[in-house]
Amino acid sequence: MLMPRKVKHRKQHRGRTTGMAKGGTELSFGDFGIQALEPGWLTARQIEAARIAMTRRIKRGGRVWITVFPDKPVTKKPAETRMGSGKGSPEFWVAVVKPGRILFELSYPSAETAREALELAVQKLPIKARVIARTDEVI
Amino acid sequence: MPTNVLVATTGRETGSATSRRLRAQDNIPAVVYGHGMSPVSVTVVRRDLRIAVSGANGFNTVLSLKVGNDTLVALIKEVQRHPVKRTVSHLDFLVVNPDEQITVHVPLHLYGEAKAVLQAGGLVDPAVDHIDLVTTPNQMPSEVRLDITDLQPGQVIHLSELTLPAGCTAIGDPDMPVVIAMLGSLGAPARS
Repeated sequence: MLMPRKVKHRKQHRGRTTGMAKGGTELSFGDFGIQALEPGWLTARQIEAARIAMTRRIKRGGRVWITVFPDKPVTKKPAETRMGSGKGSPEFWVAVVKPGRILFELSYPSAETAREALELAVQKLPIKARVIARTDEVI
Repeated sequence: MPTNVLVATTGRETGSATSRRLRAQDNIPAVVYGHGMSPVSVTVVRRDLRIAVSGANGFNTVLSLKVGNDTLVALIKEVQRHPVKRTVSHLDFLVVNPDEQITVHVPLHLYGEAKAVLQAGGLVDPAVDHIDLVTTPNQMPSEVRLDITDLQPGQVIHLSELTLPAGCTAIGDPDMPVVIAMLGSLGAPARS
């Protein structure tokens, strides 16, 4: 699973996810991609599950890019613990996502299979997302 | 003078709130600059823009831009899009001289079937999808076409090996890979 090798600070504040993505809103590598439509946190497990779903469908002969990275630690207090005594311990890593952000990109010869693979990956995500293609140009 | 005519209305107010109101009325705020003229804030009608760029050249179309009483030859220099709706939210028009050299971003189109690569279980990986060219607006191609029929597994086509249309010069490292025929990997999982 994806996680930072080394961090400057072990624990972070939760923060706010308001507004829309400021960057990473266009396809940069592949011809198809998944775009977030609402804000949220993607855990490293969810990103990995989506990647596996996608690569199982395309089997071979394609290329996948993951364009988000889970660099935010999420802490949790143990069950049945009294409040206080400081912040809990880091449990997992998440990527903070805002609407418009491209999450995955895919390059594959068959457009139909590529879309199917990405739709399977969308099912693994905790937020609303859609499949986009480089050819879907709107004015 | 280019045949694609686009009318740009001058005298719009600037600012985010005004621009938002303009977009709600299906108008796109834009700016026109270049050739020593001071930048002019204009508005174009979304439907007119769609018609003007519906040709083969797309957003690389040379436009005949009507700004007030003047008719200028212009190119779309930059397109800003809404992050979610992906609609055009702002445009930059660059005034050009039809005979002067400019840098344009032209799509690369691969055609043909690389049978040798597919038989070996490989994949044709386009390393780039656009190429920067120096050309004049009169000679600007709609796309650069590359035949990949004779591509062999493991072969790499570099920027210097491309056959460009007349009057065009590619910018960038001549050794930059443009298309890579990845080696056969039957049964290997997709790369990520």
